Parts: sequence; C-alpha cells; structure tokens
Amino acid sequence: MRNYLRLVWAIARKDLLVEFRTHERLTAMGAFVVLIGILFNFSIDSALVRPQDIAAALIWMTIIFGGMLGLGRTFRLEQEDAALSGILQSPIPIAALYLGKVVGNFILLSVMVALVFVVFGAFFSLRFSGSPLTLVGVVALGVLGFVSLTTFFSAMATRSSMGESLLPVLVFPLLVPVVVYGTTATDRLFIGRPIAEVSGNLRMLAAFAILFTVACAWLFRFVIEE
Amino acid sequence: MSFGLEAEGLVRTFGGLRAVDGVSFQLRPGELLTVFGPNGAGKTTLLRMLGGVMRPTSGQVRVAGAPADVASRDWRHRVGIVSHQSLLYGQLTIEENLRFYGRLFGLTDLKARIPERLESVGLADRGRTPVRDLSRGLKQRAALARALLHDPEVVLLDEPYTGLDPHASKVLREQLASLKDGRHTVVLVTHNLIQGLELADRVAIQIRGRFLSVTDAGSLDLAGFEALYHAAVADHG
Repeated sequence: MRNYLRLVWAIARKDLLVEFRTHERLTAMGAFVVLIGILFNFSIDSALVRPQDIAAALIWMTIIFGGMLGLGRTFRLEQEDAALSGILQSPIPIAALYLGKVVGNFILLSVMVALVFVVFGAFFSLRFSGSPLTLVGVVALGVLGFVSLTTFFSAMATRSSMGESLLPVLVFPLLVPVVVYGTTATDRLFIGRPIAEVSGNLRMLAAFAILFTVACAWLFRFVIEE
Repeated sequence: MSFGLEAEGLVRTFGGLRAVDGVSFQLRPGELLTVFGPNGAGKTTLLRMLGGVMRPTSGQVRVAGAPADVASRDWRHRVGIVSHQSLLYGQLTIEENLRFYGRLFGLTDLKARIPERLESVGLADRGRTPVRDLSRGLKQRAALARALLHDPEVVLLDEPYTGLDPHASKVLREQLASLKDGRHTVVLVTHNLIQGLELADRVAIQIRGRFLSVTDAGSLDLAGFEALYHAAVADHG
C-alpha cells in the first residue's frame, strides 16, 4: 500500500513541479477568476440583488469554469515528446497514474479555490456566518468530485480529434449533482444555517466524490491504453 | 534455455488496416535484431507492442519466458525503450526526469544510480540542465540514460538516430554498441541500412506489417543487403 501511494505521489509531484516551472495552468485559472470577479462586480446591480444571496452560485460557477481551463490541459504535457509512453512502459498501475493526476489537480484547484474566495470576498464584501470547517469540507468534497471527473474526461478529450472543446460536453451533465449539493450547502453555510441542515449535502457530495474517483480509476485503463 | 524476447504471431489492426501482421521471432540474451522497413511498415507499432505500450489484437510477447501482457506490470522492469521522441519532460532537468522515472520503477538507490547513468552516456555535467535546453543529440543521450536507468535486460530502440547530426550519431552508436555485452537483448527499428547493419546479429525486413525474412547479419554485406531490401520494397511495398 505504501509503495502504491509512493507511485501516486510521484505522478502528482511531477505534475506540480512542471506547473511550478511553467505557471501555465495556474496563471490561466487565476486570471480567469480575477476577470470573472471584476465582470460580476460590474454586472450585478447590488441595489436590486444582494450579492450575498447569489454568492454560492457565483463561487461554484467560477470554480467549475475556471477549473475546466486548467484541468482540461492535464494530459497536454504528457503528449510533448510522448512522455505518456514512458509512463505506460513503466510498472506503475494505470489506476495509480490516474490517482496521481487527481491528487495533483486537486492541489492546483485548491489554490484556485482559495483565490476565488479571496476575490469574491473582496469584490462583494461577503459576510460568512456559518462554520468555516464545514465550508472547507463542502468545497473539498465538491472539488474532489469535479477533479475526478474532469481528469478522467480530460484524458479522453486529449486523445480525441475535438480536443479540449469536447471536455465541457462530456463533463457538465455529470457534474449536476456536485453543483446542486455544493451550491445549496455553501448557500446555507453563508447565511449561518446550522450544520445539521447541510449534513445531507455533505454525505451526498462525499458519495459522489468516492463514486466518481473509484469508477474513473477503474475505467481509466480503457481510456489510456492503446 | 529461455529466450530473452519472443514474439508469437503478433497482429495489430487499426480498423481494416493490419499494421502488424503475424510477426514471430525469438531472440536469445545478447542478440541484437535490426528490423528494417519503409515508412508505414508497422515497425513502431511492433515495437510499442513489444514494450507493452500497445495491446496486440492477437498474439503474444514473452520476456525471459514469461508472458508480457499489457495488463500486468511486473515484467516491465525488464524492458527499456528508446524512441525518436525522448519520452522526457522538457520543463524538468535531466536529473529530475530520471528521478521521476526511477520512482515509477521503484528504484531506491537513485542518488548513486543517476550520476552513474549520466556518466555512462557522457552527461555527467549536464544533470541540472532542463531537457528543453538540450540539443537533439544530448536529448537522445538523456533518453538512453532514462531507458537504461532500471537496468533492463531487453532494450527496444525505435529510430534512435532520427534527427542526429553525424557526430551525435557516432556518439550514440558507440553507446548502443555497449549494449552488446552478452546480457542485453536488443531490437533496433530503423530504415537506415548502414546504421542498422553495423550492430545487428540478425536482421528482418518488415513490409506492410509482415516480416519477409529474418536472417543472420554475419552472412550479409551492405551492397547485397541493400539490393535485397530495395527489391523487397519494390515487390511488396
């Protein structure tokens, strides 16, 4: 088990190291988050709509669209100089390769999510009166479900002739439960509802995150092997 | 005595195209087989199946007598691949690339092993250079260090001389010659007759997916083989 986790971390660590060198995906996601924050700031008439009331939806939509920008490129770097062939020729289990990609993407997306909260907090002066720890749990589980799905379909999209433009078509329909439960729970936490009111959402988000991760890890070899 | 590498009735189809069509051969440890063929003959597809990167439509590969299925991973410790692409990450240094691949192969002595491999391919002072900053020749040497890092018994070489200038080709050829130590089983795929014949113990001509012949290289001279090859390509290509 320890060896398996070492392999998963080797993949994640390599992806993070490459990102640390290039800043390619973080720059794209970060710029998107800031620009969306600015656009929402100008497009929402706060005399008619209280930003607080729609904050959860704005935050989750920004996470999904911004995340798609970065995660869609997950396998792009593996195509340069056929590096993926080198990995496939090694003894690493295919599921460990997938899980390594998920871990790397989860860490990257967590950085973007932190930026989303900072930007939206600054632009809309959002007040949060719920449990911060529960909010972290909701966002982490939602992001894990999103990352699991997007990483899987990113491999599929990269190998298709349509490329990244195929990714939203594949991912969005399956993301509906994550968006619904994530947004509802975040909304309730923002207005200070008791934790008991979001425990059902948390369980559903956890169930989807586990389901997506396990199913995609199992199916990944059918996508990646030639 | 078991063979170092065996292929038995290997077939790979893409839609209606049979890219590799019933290829069989057996190589003893220490032997080097060069596979010649024109573009599109299925040489790279064959090599990808031998390396476990691609699943055969039918047929089997055995490494040191054990079936080398795509789904199983353990036998991969015994095989290394050098392609005309480096299989390295341009943004990472050579050392970082080797460390990454070393981890994938479960190697624990990387601190000693990496400098040793870099020394053996003449890159001892280039370990901290990003791969994207290397010339084509140096990149190919780094690729060789990557392929040999885990000390494989079977080495598969897919057009390793592509894009190299004469000096870089000579340096690489000397390094590939060191694989003829009686321990490594090597398959070299190329369409360059001179470079392919230099090191070969046996040669095969692959055209339209099929092996037309597998011959001992010792009995061949370049001019005769060149005539034979061109005639085969003209007849079957």
